[in-house]
Amino acid sequence: MADLLAILTQGANGLSAHRAAAQTAAHNIQNVNTEGYSRQRVELEAMPPEYLRTNAYAGMGVTVGAITQARDAFLERQIPASMSATSQYNAESQTLRSVVALNPETPGGLSDAMNSFYSDLRSLGQNPSQPALRAAVVGSARNLARSFNRAAEGISDAQAGIDARIAADVQEANDLGARVAALNGQIVRSRATGGEPNDLLDERRKASDRLSALLGATPIPDSEGNISMALPGGMVFVSSQKAATLSTAPDPAKPGFLAVQVTKLGSNTPQLIANGSLGGAVRGYLDARDVALQGSRDSLDALAFDFAETLNTQHQAGFDGNGNPGAALFAVGALPAGTAATISVDAALAADNRLFAASGSAAGVPGDSSNVLALVATERTVLSGGNTPAASLASIIATFGSRSRESNARADQESAIATTLQGLRESVAGVSLDEELIAMTKAQRAFDAVSKVIQTADSMLDTLMNLR
Amino acid sequence: MRVTEKMMFQAGQVQTGAARERLEKALGEVTSGKRFVHPSDDPAGSGLLVTAKAAQQRHAAIDQSVGRAADELNFAEGVVGEVSNLVQRGRELAMQLGSGQYGASDRSNAAKEVDGLFNSLVGLMNSEVGGRYIFGGTQDGSLPFDTNGNYVGDANGRQIEIAPGVLQTVSLRADVGIKGVGGGTDVMQVFRDLSTAMRANDVPGIEAALSGLDNSLTQVSSLRTDAGSALSILQTSSEVASLNRHQMTIAVANISEVDLAEAASKMALASTALQAALSATANSFKLSLIDKL
Repeated sequence: MADLLAILTQGANGLSAHRAAAQTAAHNIQNVNTEGYSRQRVELEAMPPEYLRTNAYAGMGVTVGAITQARDAFLERQIPASMSATSQYNAESQTLRSVVALNPETPGGLSDAMNSFYSDLRSLGQNPSQPALRAAVVGSARNLARSFNRAAEGISDAQAGIDARIAADVQEANDLGARVAALNGQIVRSRATGGEPNDLLDERRKASDRLSALLGATPIPDSEGNISMALPGGMVFVSSQKAATLSTAPDPAKPGFLAVQVTKLGSNTPQLIANGSLGGAVRGYLDARDVALQGSRDSLDALAFDFAETLNTQHQAGFDGNGNPGAALFAVGALPAGTAATISVDAALAADNRLFAASGSAAGVPGDSSNVLALVATERTVLSGGNTPAASLASIIATFGSRSRESNARADQESAIATTLQGLRESVAGVSLDEELIAMTKAQRAFDAVSKVIQTADSMLDTLMNLR
Repeated sequence: MRVTEKMMFQAGQVQTGAARERLEKALGEVTSGKRFVHPSDDPAGSGLLVTAKAAQQRHAAIDQSVGRAADELNFAEGVVGEVSNLVQRGRELAMQLGSGQYGASDRSNAAKEVDGLFNSLVGLMNSEVGGRYIFGGTQDGSLPFDTNGNYVGDANGRQIEIAPGVLQTVSLRADVGIKGVGGGTDVMQVFRDLSTAMRANDVPGIEAALSGLDNSLTQVSSLRTDAGSALSILQTSSEVASLNRHQMTIAVANISEVDLAEAASKMALASTALQAALSATANSFKLSLIDKL
């Protein structure tokens, strides 16, 4: 038979359950702006009833069945890949966008320098014996060489900047990998003691999401409650409660740049990882460095080399102001690689503009301009790339612009998908203040009512105690 | 769909951010007048701009050097005109003093004027423009004629580019036009012969020199015609280069410059859109149960 004391016990349980509901609502409200937080819900359950001898069951009040999280596994499975792609293209796009060396409107840029060089050559062609015009041509040749140097430096500075970012991201990825592995351990241990460690799950998901954004790693859950993180190439970065270590080292295939390497679990020897085996922001940076920027740099080197070789050949066919055969106009190496960064005007010519070979013959010095006109004609010479110098430069700029624009478009597209998925996740897992205030009020009202129950039971007990 | 405060804040952040970005871009276009800054803004346009600017500067440089060559040739043509006057005066003296009514002393006095004409001729043919002697062929760093009227220049003409890949001779051949190289008359020598004949009171010599002066006049006229023809070509080339430059300037503007009316309209639109986004976002934030409880 139910007794009044049982009502007091039930009341205590009820107060506790509704206090838990209010506490959960308060927890949700306080985490309304916490990144990665999933709202929690208290699942109240009726206590098992007490059997009465009158063949009836008397209710025993309420208890907290569980505190669960509102999550959608279907959405959460799609988000890591989306975050990886978004970060990859955003990283590539923002990096390429920050490179100004190939901006076509930059005053004094390569395009302007090349045009000025040919303009000054034309002026000299009209009056080759004029020292001021010779000086102008040598000066604009020097400016053109410096413009090649500046463009190459701008690109290589961007590439070096990317290496710094990759090194920082790799360090962060190591911290996150270790964090996910440690959280796996804590979660498994917490589950073993019963209950769902909701906040630890949120923290792990936040770390794994960031790892997806940095490396394109995909979370793979196991039956014990761990998640492993696999890189796009299939390499396991986090396995249960252990994480591999990433590092950077000089890339043997790309002198001057860093490569990402991994020290696998159970190994002490780092191995290089191919760009294609990575994803996320690191892949975006590597693609920007090794594809778009290196492509532009190689093309710029080829243009500088072919241009210099063409001009040098023609300059050497002429005769300088002293009647001697012309020397090289530009100093370049034997191979195109690195030419844009190092090209310069021949040192002797830079010091003495009489060495400029304007004449087509020794006898024609100083008034013959036939070699100047031949040098002007190199403006129409088709270089090894199949274009004239100006068209080659246009092609380099347009190709770089296309690559940059493509990554912009992919970044926008992937961002839109990611925003939609995250919006849908937020719709399921996010905290609504209105809902939580209602839940809080609901819990408060229930708490008040249960308090009344206790007060009433107490009054009833008092009545009994005072019977005479 | 369940909507949380965070979703509303994020939507507000994204939408106002996007509207502000569009306004910033429109503002940049209006203030700079440029359609693009980075090659990714318009890859094809960026490439086209390089070649269009190269063509624009090419035509500008051609126009400029054609202009300078035309100035020089104009000067040369003027000099040849003066030479023509000298020859004409020599011819008048030869005709006048070749007649029987003048004596030896008259001819001797006239020889002095002929010597003066000769010296003037040498001086004219040693004319200098911008620090170079324009009648010496490619040997323009030194006097092309010595005091005896000997030509010490060379037989090379100077050329300039009057259109991409098209060359035009822009110097006058004094060795041909004055010294008669290639079967013509040596104008300098005709003056020297006339002077000698005058001094020697040699009437047949004066008559022979007169014949030489007639030929000289024709030859110098021919030289002047060459100058006129070249000037005419330069004039046409300059007009073509100027036209091409103008067209390429328009092409460059079409590629890289914004239509200001359109840009201003886009900016006004972007500004209105931002105001609307801000207003809508601010209003959506006001609706919360927090203020009602």
